[in-house]
Amino acid sequence: MKKKYALYPGCVMPTEQYAYEISIRESLPVLGVELVDVEGFSCCGEPLKSVNQLMTLYLSARNLAIAEKNKLDVFAPCAMCHLSLSECKRLLDTNPEMKDRINNLLSAEELNYEGSTNIVNTVDLLHDHIGLETIKQHVKKPLKGLKFATHYGCHLIRPSEIGRPDNSENPQKMEEILKALGAETADYYPEKLDCCGGILQINLPESALTKTGQKLKAIQEYGFNGLVDVCPWCHRMYDARQVKAGETVAAKLEVPVFYLTQLLGLALGINKEKLGLDLNLSPVDKINFGEA
Amino acid sequence: MSIVDLTSMGEPQSELRKEINQRLSKLKDEISDYCFQCAKCTSGCEAHKLLELEPHKILALLKRGLIDEMVNSDVIWTCMSCFKCRERCPQKVAPVEVLFALKNLAVASGKQIPGKYTANLQSVLSIGAIQDIQEVTTRDNKTKRRSDLSLPNLSKPSDLAKFQAGLMKIAMEKI
Repeated sequence: MKKKYALYPGCVMPTEQYAYEISIRESLPVLGVELVDVEGFSCCGEPLKSVNQLMTLYLSARNLAIAEKNKLDVFAPCAMCHLSLSECKRLLDTNPEMKDRINNLLSAEELNYEGSTNIVNTVDLLHDHIGLETIKQHVKKPLKGLKFATHYGCHLIRPSEIGRPDNSENPQKMEEILKALGAETADYYPEKLDCCGGILQINLPESALTKTGQKLKAIQEYGFNGLVDVCPWCHRMYDARQVKAGETVAAKLEVPVFYLTQLLGLALGINKEKLGLDLNLSPVDKINFGEA
Repeated sequence: MSIVDLTSMGEPQSELRKEINQRLSKLKDEISDYCFQCAKCTSGCEAHKLLELEPHKILALLKRGLIDEMVNSDVIWTCMSCFKCRERCPQKVAPVEVLFALKNLAVASGKQIPGKYTANLQSVLSIGAIQDIQEVTTRDNKTKRRSDLSLPNLSKPSDLAKFQAGLMKIAMEKI
């Protein structure tokens, strides 16, 4: 059965974190997912929550309404977008007064929020909707002998009250997906739930880098072959800003950082040029994936 | 009307402030009594060790009505919105939500917005996203644009004027 979603790109992935988008577009269709590009999307509003929460709600509702108009469920690869859209859906589906108010505003763009759209992220799409068995059947080049640490991203697993793709205190779905790809993982390491600091990049960039550096330093010391993430905000910190993050914690960091969809693509036998691996700024060449 | 007028304020946004104040007093009435200062929020707070944010104290101050003092303080802007405090509170109090309301109130009161928040807001208003398409560099120092990577055009608001009008309505409190 074909699974069809509107690809909701958000802001950071389609303007900067191209490796995530490329690897999503290459690898998910192999597993029977059809991604539809929809016109009209905007920011989900989450980065503006500190400025004006009503604006966040409005922007999320607006994007959901666009997906609804196209009769599609939404695939939001970014953890921040996924939280913002999910929180908006929960609020509007339980608060008719707020729903009317938002719909009143949306009518200016000829949009209307009803609440028929479901929202998925990379982790639950792969683990729950595609399923581990299907993934295993498609693996051509298992990621043998490699042990990865995972980073889910705060927004992806909390607050559980809203309904998040994985458990808030002991998430394991990424581990299970990686095992299905033939890799090894650790169910737990002490810093697993630590924040990347990404949000602070907006107003306290030095502190943000310290958070990033602390976690990467630990991962390096534990001897993992790399770190795997699923959020463009987190990846930007761990991958693109790794060297600077290392300076803030007095460590020379050399941790290869991958998007889960890049490793998925490699295991599915997709050529690494097609997965945007040249765009990772962390030393991903440390791992030899062989010729393909 | 530019974004600077909307955020750093020629005129006070009285309706918006009223709305946020209502939200805060609702939080105060509904949750602050439940907080028994166990400080579980603070023990797990991502911003605690690094930036001395103490969510349980934010709740204690809210309970005492010291809202202006918090709105004027830099400490509310140290929250990383990791949502651990909301997740772990045994009393279902959500300090992170109080912090969002306080920051919203600071903005609506015309306080200086720290960092790139204004730039992000301006960017969403003008193009629909917090930043425009960036040139990136590969590991071997080649420059790549979105268009070099055979990715489709970026999805953007179809009618920018209508999109902006909607956001302005919210920013201008005419909701």
